[in-house]
Amino acid sequence: MGEVILQMKDIDKSFPGVHALDHVGFEVRRGEVHALMGENGAGKSTLMKVLTGIYKKDSGSIIYKGKEVEFHNTREAQDNGVVIVHQELNMVGDLSVAQNIFIGREPRKGLRIDDKKMIEDSKALFDRLRIDIDPTEKMSELTVGKQQMCEIAKAISHNAELIIFDEPSAALTEKEIEDLFSIIRDLKAQDLGIIYISHRMDEIKVITDRVTVMRDGGYVGTLITADCTKEDIINMMVGRVIYEKPKEKSLVPDDAPVVLKVEHLNAGKMVQDVSFELRKGEILGFSGLMGAGRTETARAIFGADPKQSGDIYVNGEKVEINSPEDAVKHGIGYLSEDRRRFGIVVGKSIVENSTMATLEEYMNGIFINKGKEKEAAERYINELGTKTPSSDQLVVNLSGGNQQKVVIAKWLVRNSDILIFDEPTRGIDVGAKNEIYKLMNRLAAEGKSIIMISSEMTEILRMSDRIVIMCEGRKTGEVKIEEATQELIMDKATRQMS
Amino acid sequence: MEKFKQNPLVKKLGFNRIVLCGVLILMYIFFSILVPAVTGSQFAGMSHIMGALNYAYFLGFLSLGVTFVIATGGIDFSIGPVMFCCGLVSGYCLMTYNMPLPVCLLISVLIGALFGLWNGYLVAYWSVPPFIVSMASMNMAKGIASVFTKTQSVSWPRSTDANGWFRNLIKMGGIPTGLICFLVAAVICAIILNNTRFGRYIICLGSNKEAVRLSGVDTRKWQMFAYLMCGLLVGIATIFFVGTYTTVQPGYGDQYNNEAIAGCVMGGTSMAGGLASIGGTVIGVFIISLLQEGILALKLTKDVQLIITGLIVIVAVYADVMARRRKN
Repeated sequence: MGEVILQMKDIDKSFPGVHALDHVGFEVRRGEVHALMGENGAGKSTLMKVLTGIYKKDSGSIIYKGKEVEFHNTREAQDNGVVIVHQELNMVGDLSVAQNIFIGREPRKGLRIDDKKMIEDSKALFDRLRIDIDPTEKMSELTVGKQQMCEIAKAISHNAELIIFDEPSAALTEKEIEDLFSIIRDLKAQDLGIIYISHRMDEIKVITDRVTVMRDGGYVGTLITADCTKEDIINMMVGRVIYEKPKEKSLVPDDAPVVLKVEHLNAGKMVQDVSFELRKGEILGFSGLMGAGRTETARAIFGADPKQSGDIYVNGEKVEINSPEDAVKHGIGYLSEDRRRFGIVVGKSIVENSTMATLEEYMNGIFINKGKEKEAAERYINELGTKTPSSDQLVVNLSGGNQQKVVIAKWLVRNSDILIFDEPTRGIDVGAKNEIYKLMNRLAAEGKSIIMISSEMTEILRMSDRIVIMCEGRKTGEVKIEEATQELIMDKATRQMS
Repeated sequence: MEKFKQNPLVKKLGFNRIVLCGVLILMYIFFSILVPAVTGSQFAGMSHIMGALNYAYFLGFLSLGVTFVIATGGIDFSIGPVMFCCGLVSGYCLMTYNMPLPVCLLISVLIGALFGLWNGYLVAYWSVPPFIVSMASMNMAKGIASVFTKTQSVSWPRSTDANGWFRNLIKMGGIPTGLICFLVAAVICAIILNNTRFGRYIICLGSNKEAVRLSGVDTRKWQMFAYLMCGLLVGIATIFFVGTYTTVQPGYGDQYNNEAIAGCVMGGTSMAGGLASIGGTVIGVFIISLLQEGILALKLTKDVQLIITGLIVIVAVYADVMARRRKN
């Protein structure tokens, strides 16, 4: 390892209601691969966004190549040699490889683009990386792995000195990962600094020199990879003080009937052969890291996205669910992780949103019975403790927690027995969070069955009666709450399935 | 100003609509002063009001129709030419094939509805952008009409002719029955939009289609119905058009698209969808109609009106965009 190329000191960043980075420190040396790890929401991405100028830091300093810098956008960071290789590829499929690499800075010959030079330069880049790609090929013809290589080539063509890989292996096959690693080793030998963000513990052990762990927006520690075990890292990732006591034992009686049974569900790449059962009055936690396929599973069950195969049984009877309409008919309600996009119509009133799934029951002939509708909405405003001046209030004017209550009301008005809560407390402040928890417990006690998808370990442990763990589109484990520990869950959630 | 906006009566009527009424009155005063000054003839008086109203009837039905589509966040640029297609095909049936008048009027409504259904099906089920669908339909409507009539224009019967009784829908004796028909239709549309499932769903899906779909609503069906509703009203608009202007020429009708859409967006219906006001549309239509009457009275050509309606559309949509931005 060489000299320090990047040093971030005391970086602090707040968003309304969230302290995203709490005086974080981080350094990278030349010729090192430095892993940045942490649970979802630990602040890794935010830190990288502060570095590359997408976010402005509140305080702290960034010292890059010995000088204090502050980039104002990714372009400026790029020009200075700090480049990020994204998880999602930013490529134009219909352009050639060379055109993609030089997009926005094409070499010119007079007014025309100098295609020849562009192709030659691309070739030189690929030679340097020792990869075999034809620069004239169309980007969309390449495999995802090769596209990723192009993204890296593009990064290097900016004379990069510090490259950030944001979960680069998420979409790659085993063989492609090998290739990626050999490129990374080459770059390392060329004295570049490399930041490697990944959830895959095994890769971290193979490719990185040091690991920095973040948790809840704070810096936890830095270890030399060779000297630590996977368990050490997991402990650092989850070792927070748990404020809320986890549930000690399941509240579901042993003989509670199965209300929902999913067998061998397949839907695209993100849902592969998922099977599980949900029982009456149960809160079934779905744990896993970002991109584990939990939301996709929920959407496939609900009929929001098409599925390829698999059987769904509601109360023991096999049902066909091809659209949300079908799912709603069978008493399933889905509360999306993205309320504003999928949960509510923000420009409409609480009343209108509350009866959205049940409007046919509030009709007087062909006319909407607005009085009855309002009554229902107001009943649930009281019951759920939604804070609003009136039921005619537009949902856009409510806080996140209260918007969530409106979505819950929508499914309670419908009298749905199976509720899928996808990240029910995302973007909700602590007080409102507790209310949502209480509400979910009450619903379960009343005999509703709940699937709760959550990326927050404490939430999973506090609420669930049983926990299903997913990783990369597959179910990798199922544990009873009595046996669940953070370490066990994290282990299953990071288990690579291949 | 704020206090005025918060007044319960103002809130009920809608601040925008009050402003629009003000604009309408000011426009009338403006023309009443300008027209005599420029041309030496009178503008104030019944004759020009009736002229403007005649224009308002058919345009009003078009505007009501397109309000439903715009509420879903869509657009329909085929309404004018479809109206002409209806008028030409049914008129040809009447004059050349001597089919009974009620049947011909029904054919007119049916053709409008079919175009609406076609547009709606393509938009809702095939996800073809409404802009493209309606542009294509516009040309198809012109083509179909020309093929059917062999590029002849069609003249509908005059009020004194045998089949002229349908003109009583527009004017009976001295009574502007057309105005009554239009206002009754507007009230029905307002009730449909505000008090039925159809209205509720199309406005909500105009605002956030995915949220409505995930509530278990068959959004595609309702979206298609919005275009069907529009087509029906275009078919009805035809009756008021031929009842007023008698002759329909193939290959025209485009200009009424802009005017109908202008009337609608001026009235407070948002091009982005999710917000619609039938009352606003009605006032918007009166403004456009008065504008065209005033411009004719000033002895300016129709082209001037095209320029002004074009500007109105832009200003109205810009105002809506700004209002949204301020809200966010």
